Amino acid sequence: MFWQWLTAPWQYEFMVRAILLSVVVGLVCGALSCYMVLRGWALMGDAISHAVLPGVILAHVLNLPLALGAFVFGVGSVLTIGFVESQTRIKEDTVIGIVFTGFFALGLVLLSKVKSTIDLTHILFGNVLGISNTDIYQTVISSVVTLTILFLRQRDFLLFCFDPTHARSIGINTNLFHYLLLSLLSLTAVAGLQAVGIILVVAMLITPGATAYLLTDRFDRMLGLAMGLGAAAAIVGNYVSFYLDVATGGCIVLVQTLLFGLAVFFAPKHGILARKFWAKIDL
Amino acid sequence: MVTTSIAVENVTVAYHDRVALYRASLAIRSGTICGLVGMNGAGKSTLLKAIMGFVRPLEGRVLVQGLPVGAAQKRNLIAYVPQAEEVDWQFPVTVFDVVMMGRYGRMNWLRLPSKVDYTLVQTALTEVEMGKLQDRPIAELSGGQRKRAFLARALAQQAQIFLLDEPFAAVDITTEKLIIDRLLQLRQAGHTVLVSTHDLSSIKTFCDQVVLINRSILAYGDVETVFTPENLCRTFGNHFCQYQEGK
Ligand SMILES: Nc1ncnc2c1ncn2[C@@H]1O[C@H](COP(=O)(O)OP(=O)(O)O)[C@@H](O)[C@H]1O
Ligand SMILES: [Mg+2]
Repeated sequence: MFWQWLTAPWQYEFMVRAILLSVVVGLVCGALSCYMVLRGWALMGDAISHAVLPGVILAHVLNLPLALGAFVFGVGSVLTIGFVESQTRIKEDTVIGIVFTGFFALGLVLLSKVKSTIDLTHILFGNVLGISNTDIYQTVISSVVTLTILFLRQRDFLLFCFDPTHARSIGINTNLFHYLLLSLLSLTAVAGLQAVGIILVVAMLITPGATAYLLTDRFDRMLGLAMGLGAAAAIVGNYVSFYLDVATGGCIVLVQTLLFGLAVFFAPKHGILARKFWAKIDL
Repeated sequence: MVTTSIAVENVTVAYHDRVALYRASLAIRSGTICGLVGMNGAGKSTLLKAIMGFVRPLEGRVLVQGLPVGAAQKRNLIAYVPQAEEVDWQFPVTVFDVVMMGRYGRMNWLRLPSKVDYTLVQTALTEVEMGKLQDRPIAELSGGQRKRAFLARALAQQAQIFLLDEPFAAVDITTEKLIIDRLLQLRQAGHTVLVSTHDLSSIKTFCDQVVLINRSILAYGDVETVFTPENLCRTFGNHFCQYQEGK
């Protein structure tokens, strides 16, 4: 009975693809989310995931890989933000807000011109059930590239987030890692976009890291946990969406939010209950 | 032969339109401890950051062992201990992880620690008496323990030159004494130390030279000749002069 419940979705090819793709996306977004959370880049994640929209549309029209278009516009938005911030007195969060909405608006305008070929709802809310083979290959390739770079240079990224001053003082080029991390973010935003849509990508890019951060004080464990949470939410989200016939992207993100909520209350050391408990003991 | 470890030549630094450091020149001898003294906002941190190349001077230049600072950093010649406020203390790393970061510059690009790296980290931890706390998350350290962890990281780096920004701020006597002992030990081994502080009482006990600073360098030289009430009065302003006369 339970076995049947468990295996039923796997009999449909579209479900197999959806689950596998969202697990890959969950893993890579989970890994990246740790750096976003520790670096305080939640807003930056939100910005980039929106700013890639015109790139995705242009790439679609020109028949180029979506990741390429997203990469160009993601990095473009970051450079624009950096430029305006360094040249004016406007604060970073304001600049981010202006630039990303501007890019997003450009995307919407472009989209209205090419409406016939792209479905807006797929971009906004994801289309993991109807994803094409090409999209799957592209997502897998960009995810493998991102994960490889993140793992090989794990310690540099960690140091860059924790203490960029020390990184510079031992001759590490922190600018390189700054832009490398933002480039990986742009690549991953496209992957996440296909799974849960442009509006919810930012959740994939911060929630698992935030949950893991509540659960441990060790970076390597945080990384493993966040990836695990990302993948688990992808699987559970797909099942829920299959049986209740509701939006897959929304389900995946909702599962992540629930897990975060649980951690807020029940995390062993940093949860609300644990802190109440220890406060009592201390008395 | 007397060699110069850190040469600061006519350096001016401004933040936007405010000059924080005006035409500073220094030549710090190898194998000495130099104290950098001035009140809050005098430009101590700015001078150290200018030496490290973290702020770009409007004019002038800095040479470290005769090299531009970037080249000196690539060779791991300088260890810099910032003011503690500058890192996120909730970061999920342990004391051991932090000290190991001192070794990154000496590892290959995968940053895989060797036996030597482990040994040096252990030694550094022992030297600051933090061996027992090595597996603690940094979020659970006291102020003094944090300073020790950062000092250990600098020691593990095995640099030639050590720059420390206010290592004695908000630490207890034991930690202060421990830090001073380590600095004296470094000098013994031929290292150069530049340390900013506003704790005047301990300067004479461990510094060879002293720099008095208040937006520009007011006096610089051996402690006996420079560290005088008149000079301190110029450095710290009226309140300090009256206080001294009162004593
Ligand atoms: N990042 C900054 N932006 C603007 N002004 C700064 C900045 N850092 C320092 N200042 C100013 O420069 C002066 C010197 O500061 P600082 O070098 O930190 O002094 P100290 O370390 O001696 O207390 C102060 O007036 C301070 O307000
Ligand atoms: Mg300072």
